[in-house]
Order: sequence, then C-alpha cells, then structure tokens
Amino acid sequence: MALGFLLPALALLGALVVYPIVFSAYRSMFDASGNTFVGAHNYTRIFTDADSRTAMRNTLIWVVVAPSLVTVLGLIFAVLTERIRWASAFKMIVFMPMAVSFLASGVIFRLVYEGDPHRGVINAVLTTVHDTFSSSSVYPGAIARPGSPLTPAPGNAFVTTTGIQPGHMVLLPLVGLPAAQLPKSATQAVPAPAPPPDGISGTVWLDFTRGGGGVQNHVDPAEKGLPGIRVQAVQAGKAVASTTTGPDGTFAFTKLPAGTYTLKLPGGNFAAPYQGVTWLGPSLITPAIIGAYIWIWAGFAMVLIAAGLAAIPRDVLEAARMDGASEWHLFRRITVPLLAPVLTVVFVTLVINVLKVFDLVFIIAPGSVQPQATVLALEMWRVSFGGGADQGAGSAMAIFLCLLVSPAIFFNLRRFRQEQ
Amino acid sequence: MAQIVLQDVDKIYAGGVKAVDALSLEIRDGEFMVLVGPSGCGKSTALRMIAGLEDISGGTVSIGERVVNDLAPKDRDIAMVFQNYALYPHMTVEDNLAFGLKLRGTPKPEIKKRVADAAKMLGLEPYLKRKPAALSGGQRQRVAMGRAIVREPQAFLMDEPLSNLDAKLRVSMRASLNQLHERLGVTTVYVTHDQVEAMTLGDRVCVLRDGKLQQVDTPQRLFDAPVNLFVAGFIGSPSMNFVTAKLERDGVSFAGFKLPVPADVFETKPGLSGYAGKEIILGIRPSDFEDAAHAKPDWALIDVTSTVTEELGSEINVIFAIDAPPVEHKDTLALAKDATEGEEEETAIPLLDNKALWTARVNARSRVRPGQSLELAIDTHSMHFFDPESGLAIGHPDTPRV
Repeated sequence: MALGFLLPALALLGALVVYPIVFSAYRSMFDASGNTFVGAHNYTRIFTDADSRTAMRNTLIWVVVAPSLVTVLGLIFAVLTERIRWASAFKMIVFMPMAVSFLASGVIFRLVYEGDPHRGVINAVLTTVHDTFSSSSVYPGAIARPGSPLTPAPGNAFVTTTGIQPGHMVLLPLVGLPAAQLPKSATQAVPAPAPPPDGISGTVWLDFTRGGGGVQNHVDPAEKGLPGIRVQAVQAGKAVASTTTGPDGTFAFTKLPAGTYTLKLPGGNFAAPYQGVTWLGPSLITPAIIGAYIWIWAGFAMVLIAAGLAAIPRDVLEAARMDGASEWHLFRRITVPLLAPVLTVVFVTLVINVLKVFDLVFIIAPGSVQPQATVLALEMWRVSFGGGADQGAGSAMAIFLCLLVSPAIFFNLRRFRQEQ
Repeated sequence: MAQIVLQDVDKIYAGGVKAVDALSLEIRDGEFMVLVGPSGCGKSTALRMIAGLEDISGGTVSIGERVVNDLAPKDRDIAMVFQNYALYPHMTVEDNLAFGLKLRGTPKPEIKKRVADAAKMLGLEPYLKRKPAALSGGQRQRVAMGRAIVREPQAFLMDEPLSNLDAKLRVSMRASLNQLHERLGVTTVYVTHDQVEAMTLGDRVCVLRDGKLQQVDTPQRLFDAPVNLFVAGFIGSPSMNFVTAKLERDGVSFAGFKLPVPADVFETKPGLSGYAGKEIILGIRPSDFEDAAHAKPDWALIDVTSTVTEELGSEINVIFAIDAPPVEHKDTLALAKDATEGEEEETAIPLLDNKALWTARVNARSRVRPGQSLELAIDTHSMHFFDPESGLAIGHPDTPRV
C-alpha cells in the first residue's frame, strides 16, 4: 500500500537522479569509445593531465577566494544598509544582478573586461584615471630620419650624435607620425632664429611633406612643427637645461656656459599610451571572472545576512552598548557571533555553488584563454563534448566533482535538520 | 554612585509626537526611584534617555555633576536591566557577567573576583558555565541583574525587569530586589506599569501620564494624598471609588447618601470650604470602607446591596452599585482606557442602568454574599475631594490654590 504512494516519486527520482549517477560512475571506467574497460585510468588522468590540473588549481582558487569575499562583502553591505534610510533602494540595486541570467551577466562582463579602452569600461576608466594623473605622450612611435643629427637612445629617447656649441642652431627632424595625430596647436614649422652667443636654438618638426616633394632634413613650407616636446641640453651625461618646443617646433636655450652639449629628446615624449590592463589574458582571467561572480552573488549574501541581522534582538545590542561596547566591539563580539549560523549557511551554499561554476567561465574567457581559465565543471564539459569527445574521462570528472560537493551538501542538510 | 537630575527634558519623535514633555525630576544619591504610569506614558522613553539609548530633544540630563546629553551610553557609567533580559545568547553566564568588565579593561583577577561575588549574591554559582538558553526565566533575570551589579556603576536603570516573570516569582524577585538595593545602596531608576511594584519597591514613586509628570512622592503619600484624579485612580488596588457629589458645610451628599465631613478635614484641606454648596468629585478608597459590624463606632454608615463579592481569604471585596452615574472626567476616562489596554470596546462589566460600581474592602469575618444588603461604614476622615473641572485634589499642598 505504502509502496503504491511512493512509487511515482521513486520512479522519478530513480530515472532522473539515481540512474544518471550510477551510469556516470559506470561510464567513467571506460575509454572514449565506451567499449574498452580502463578501470581507474580516467580518474588518475584527472590528477596527471595538465589541463585538468589547471582546472583543479583554478577551482581551488575559486573555492578559497570567492565564497569568503562574497560573504564578507554581503556582511558589510548588510551592516551598512541597516543604518541608512534608503536601504531598500540600495538593497534592490545590489540584489538586481541575481535577476539577470548568468549567461547574460557573462556577456556583460565580457564587454566590461574588454581590453580596448574604447570598448571595455574598466580599461576606459583606468586609462582616463591614468591619463589624468600622468599625461600620456603625444608622439608615440616617432622615429628619427636616417641621416638626421638624431639617433635613438635607450628608453624611447633621441639624442644628437654630435656635440653642439652655444651659438648654433640645430634642426631635429622626426618622422613616423601620422599627420592627423599632431596636436591642433601645431603650426607650420620654421627654422629657429639664430641664438645669442651663449644659447642654442633649434626646431623639432615632422620632416614629411604630404604628397611628397619635401627635402629631407630641411624645413619645407608644408611641414608642421611638433609643439610641446621636451628638449634637454646634456653635458657630460647630465641634463643642465631643459625647455619645450613652441607651436612651430622651435626651442631655444639661453645663458648656457661655454662647452659642448648634446641635445636630448627624453623618452617621455614618445612613450606608447597607457592601454589599461589585459583582463582577459591568461594571467588575470580567473580573478576577473571571480569579480563578475561577486557582482552577481553579493546581493544574495546581503539579503540573507540582512535578514539575520534583523533577527538579532535590539535590546541585546543596547545592553552591549550600555556595557561599554564601541561600534567595532559590538560588531565583532555580538553581531558576528550571533550571525554565525547565517554566515555559515551563506558560505557553504556559495562553496557548493562555486564548485559548480561553469557558465561565467565559459562565457567570459575568450576561447584562446579557456585552457588557463578552466574549472572542473567547464573542464568536464570540454573533455566530454567541447572538443575532447571523451565521455569516459568526462564522467570520471563529473563523479569527482560530485564527491567534492557532497560534504558541503551534507553539512547544510545536517544544519537544516538541527534547526528543525 | 550619584544623583540623576532631569531638567525640562523633552522627547519629540520624528512624527512630532511628544513622548516626554518638560520632565523635571531629581533622583537623589542612593535613592530607589520608580517611574510608573499606564503604557505609552513616556516612562520607558525617559529611562532610555537617561541611558543614552534615545536622543534628548530638549532639556538636560545630568548624572553626578556631569551633563550627559551628548555622552554615548558607554561613557555614562550606568548599567541597565532590560525587560527581556537581553543576555548575550552566545556567551556563558560567566562571560555575560564579565563582558562589560572585559571591555573596560579591568584586570583579570579583579573580573574573576567581582563575577564570583555577584554570582554568590544572586545564587548563580551553579550556572556559571551554562548558556542563557539553558536557564529559566528567573535565572536569566538574575544574570541580567548580575551583569549590572558587577560593573559597580553610578546608577542602575531597570526597564520593567520583572514583567516577564510569572506572578509568584515576581513577588519573590521583588523582595530580592529590595534587599539588593538595601545592600548596594546604588541609585536606581525603575520603570514599571505595575503600581504594586511601584509602591513596594520605590523610596519615591514618580507618576507619569502622557509624558507629563503628575506627582513624585513616597508611596504612602501618593496613596494618602494624590494630587489629582489620575494619580488617585492609578495608585491603589482596587482603585479609588469616585462620584460627583455636592459639598455642604455639614456634609457631602451623593446618590441619596449624605456623609458628614469632619471639621478637621476642612482645616487640613485649605480651600475646601470655598467649595461649600458646589459640586465636587468625591473619592473614597475601598480600604476606607468596613462592614459596620466590625468598624469603629464613629464612622459614617450607608446601606448598600452587594452585586458581586470577591473573597480573597484575608478580606472580601464587595462590589456594589450606587444610584449615581459614573464620573466622566478626562482623567478617569484615561484610566478606564488603560484598564482595557486601549481597546475601544469596553471589556469591563457592563454598567447597570448607567450606575457607578463601587468597591469596598471589608473584613473577611463579614459573611456578606452577593445580592445581600449590607451596612457599610466609611472613614470620613480619609475622603478625597477633587475639583470637577481641573481634576486636582482640593487643598493638596502641591496644588496651586484656586
């Protein structure tokens, strides 16, 4: 009789849960074709294969970093929002990412982390901030024309090959710069006026006439000066004077002591512009994806922890205040211990979730970086379907993952039963 | 130890509700002051302002010589006992007691000694290693007490600490509280809505209503000389009987009765004679009645028919109707509302033909039964007279002369 009532549930459970697990365990002991019994070979492969070892290392990083960061962040948000008036608005905003599908979140963050500052918002912010505090150079990629007095020096700089005495004028031509890239202030280049006896003057210009026709190492009428270039007068390896070119590219040193100088155009004039950080490259890919994960889950942690906070009796906090607790003491000695059950549930739930993380990694990591970004769940898919076509090894990995998750699940179940 | 002085203290909540209105109160060093009043009278708010858990909207609170308006609770050197005990559930009894001392950086041996002393005083020694969840209500209350005691603060603040205990335990805890105060002599401010607690515990009792101070005095003086109808009706159980009566030089008449007013009553209540020939509100305490058979011979007599009798063993409460409508003054209405827990629907006994029900407390030897007629004697020296307009006691030393 009892069996009759149980049967539908048992049949469903058996077909959808028990059978797949048993079959996966069985399948994991066969090779890719499914015909040859290989024993534990697929399992040993998990620990020897380079890709699956990377997956294991990354999963470990995920488990160590992501749940604790999300829990801590959720706790901070929950505690802070407890005291502000528009807390519910704030909570709604932080919780909103949970409403977006993980695939969509992945796509969003793929764009956020884009390397080109014109497309990836993080790099756009980084380059903007960077350029605000250290102005980037205007003339990246300039080269000295062969036969000019300039020769490249270490650190993108250029120096004159011959010594120059005060009282002389020098021409310092550069090429390799697109005319369109010149600053708007640039005007037609002119040879610098002759300097006084104790000075050196000169012109730095783009020695290139559009459409051809100009004379090399000579200031032609259609050629533009290069404004804003720093020029140093160097004597015995030390910069003794420094000046900047005007809109027509001319510069002048005055009151130089007698002697021989070399002129230097420091590397700062020609450095490549700051391009931000390569988030989606092999080295930063895992932290980047964890960042996206935190964005999604912080709201979940916050809402649960805030509910826990609300359940702490107000008079206990007041009693602690009367007992002499500062806000920090209150937080550490009263709030956190009383929240411990909630924090544990949140943490363990996140650990289970992180062990299974797949979609974010799959979407955010570009195909070429996937071997570096891979985690166990993704590696399982890659091995079985995504090119590996070895469902034996994939099944082994699935069983392995299942074993990893189960202690956390048992822990949560036990807690649950205790609370009841 | 220190005195606590409240000077014109106001508390206005965000919605503009005035919870405490110009409260001035001086609590002397070592005194046990009870704040009492119906729910919502502002007594807890006043206490929380002394504690520093509520901002003070106006006026000053000083503890000792210091004005503490802007001090955080932890810097006021006072300890508080909460209604729901407010023990730290994750700490053992011992840690609960030691928490405040640890935060203040008291040396370890000193903490140990103080905790041991307090535990001994309160009989908590067997429970020191237990968590609060494993304690009974009374034990938790004692831990809460102990947490205040170990701190050796300037003052104790207690917010209805006994109201969560069952009746019997409450009586015994009341006695131990009394003892404790005797022993420690620490200034104590105690909030309760239970006038019996107020009367038994307080050196002085402060009656509050709607955030306003009504009367501060010793329990006996509150009982004997209430300053207005509200205090008269609030203090004493069963509460005072009221009736609108006509005062003459030779007596006061109401509901077909005429009681003589002794000459010395007119002398001790200056201004009373000015009311001769006018209407007043007469108040008689149930304990100023007696069965004529057991009363002193010089008490005035009235004949009544008992409606209900409550036999308490040592005495009998006789409830009877008098031929007069109940007094409808704002003070008595407020009391009635409080008795029904603020519900609109009147839950008390329905009135018989709009007749006031009075209670008399008579000797248990009087074998009065419901429905019997009874001759009651009244102590006419202890009658209370109130102005029907203002509700103020006539001739009370604290009342401004009319």
